[in-house]
Amino acid sequence: MSFAPPRHRRVGPINWIGLATLYFKEVRRFAKVATQTVIAPVITSLLFLAIFSLALGRTVQTIGGVSFAEFLAPGLIMMSMVQNAFANTSSSIMISKVQGSIVDLLMPPLSPGEIVVAMVLGGVTRGIAVGLAAVIGMSFFVPIAVHDAGFILFHAIAASLLLAQLGILGGIWAEKFDHIAAITNFVITPFAFLSGAFYSVQRLPEPWITIAHWNPFFYMIDGFRYGFIGHADGSLTVGMLLLIAANGLMLWLNWRLIAIGYKLRP
Amino acid sequence: MTDEPLSPRVAVRLLRRPRRFGAVNWVGLATLYRREARRGLKDHLDSLWGPVVANLLYLAVFGLAAGTIDQPGNAGSLLAFIAPGLVMFTIMSRAFEMACASILFDKLEGMIVDVLQPPITPIERLTGMAGACVSVGLLTGIVLALVTHLFVDMRPVAPLTLLLFAVLGALMLSLAGILGGLWARRWDHYAALLTFFVIPASFLSGMFYPIDVLPEFARDLTLINPLFYAIDGVRYGFRGEAQASLAVGAALLIAINAALALVLWRLFSRGWRLKS
Repeated sequence: MSFAPPRHRRVGPINWIGLATLYFKEVRRFAKVATQTVIAPVITSLLFLAIFSLALGRTVQTIGGVSFAEFLAPGLIMMSMVQNAFANTSSSIMISKVQGSIVDLLMPPLSPGEIVVAMVLGGVTRGIAVGLAAVIGMSFFVPIAVHDAGFILFHAIAASLLLAQLGILGGIWAEKFDHIAAITNFVITPFAFLSGAFYSVQRLPEPWITIAHWNPFFYMIDGFRYGFIGHADGSLTVGMLLLIAANGLMLWLNWRLIAIGYKLRP
Repeated sequence: MTDEPLSPRVAVRLLRRPRRFGAVNWVGLATLYRREARRGLKDHLDSLWGPVVANLLYLAVFGLAAGTIDQPGNAGSLLAFIAPGLVMFTIMSRAFEMACASILFDKLEGMIVDVLQPPITPIERLTGMAGACVSVGLLTGIVLALVTHLFVDMRPVAPLTLLLFAVLGALMLSLAGILGGLWARRWDHYAALLTFFVIPASFLSGMFYPIDVLPEFARDLTLINPLFYAIDGVRYGFRGEAQASLAVGAALLIAINAALALVLWRLFSRGWRLKS
């Protein structure tokens, strides 16, 4: 009896099958519980739309050339997109670490770059899914006009990408679920809230204008909102360059961290 | 004091004698209360300071937004309106989360026998758990009110009304949380209760706006929301003005609490979703 000698599978420069498998695993993870991961954030952003319009909408005529609700809607959509992009990658790594299934990520023939790309794309997919659902949900209450689809698309992808990468960083760093909750409570939410989603930054008193201009979330929301209402509070060029640079930096950082196995390998 | 060991015969007699307690097992009640309260205070970074930061953010964005679109004076009165509602919302959501998570965690980890086996009656079990949730909720609210006081005047004008409505509201949500914890079978259910029930009911309860800005239908809907009365009563305690009758609110909250307590007492006695 003779056996053919075992052959190992050959992969080219990129392991496409592995990349696609990890990506679909990440997508199925959130799609399985879509009520919690897609519908719930949409409900929350609709609630925000309701309370802000009711509490403030009656005193203001227009802001940036549109009604207060129209001004608010893109910011709220962007906020839920980025929060969910962050939640997807951070919870995925965290759960794998706590349950010990992180080996399933580290053992297969995937390069650090492939791991980062597949996971980040999973987070972006969740962000875009939430964004689409939120647009549909809000269109029942607020007229949603598209001024420039290119800006909407660019900012939607760049912002989800950045937060998905921050989620990987957070998931790698965190040692228990409390740490992820702390990052969400004390970092992500404050940045998102003070980003000019709820007001026109131009009309703020100092020091708030300066604070807003140092906040990357401000550029995500401002550029995204420009795509809908055609009015921006800050410089769009600065915002887009900043988002590209931040994404590049984070990609490099996550790639290095996974390559050296920081807090992932014993 | 003698260190002499008991004779085996005496020891056996002592062990055979059941522990006696009166109508209420005070030791058991206090032990359960302590365990639940400690559990609720353990993760104070997320469960206490998280809401504190979130509430300051709500105040900041409402204040800044109102300041940019309105006269600065109105921003102050808007914040004075919102702040008591935020405090009460935090008290109630904390009470709910604690009660619900505690039971569900015990059920999923198989630790619920530790609550079912000891000699405590269903009423004692209910009192200990709800009491702990109300205490921790109120404690969170006090810390929050003190921090908020740095930015918005939070001196109560009617402390007794404030206390009454804060306790009634916290108790209602603790009992609702216990009911939710009994009903839930997975963490998804717990999250769904919060996202689809507690948060919408609170946000749409007149926490952020006076109800007369609402259209007729939405106003009627708010008036049947019990959380509206709890928040309205607490706001009266801080500011001395209410939108609805305090007597009606208090009566409604007492009735709902009594009904929930009765239902839970029956469910605990039967062991609904607790004993398989």
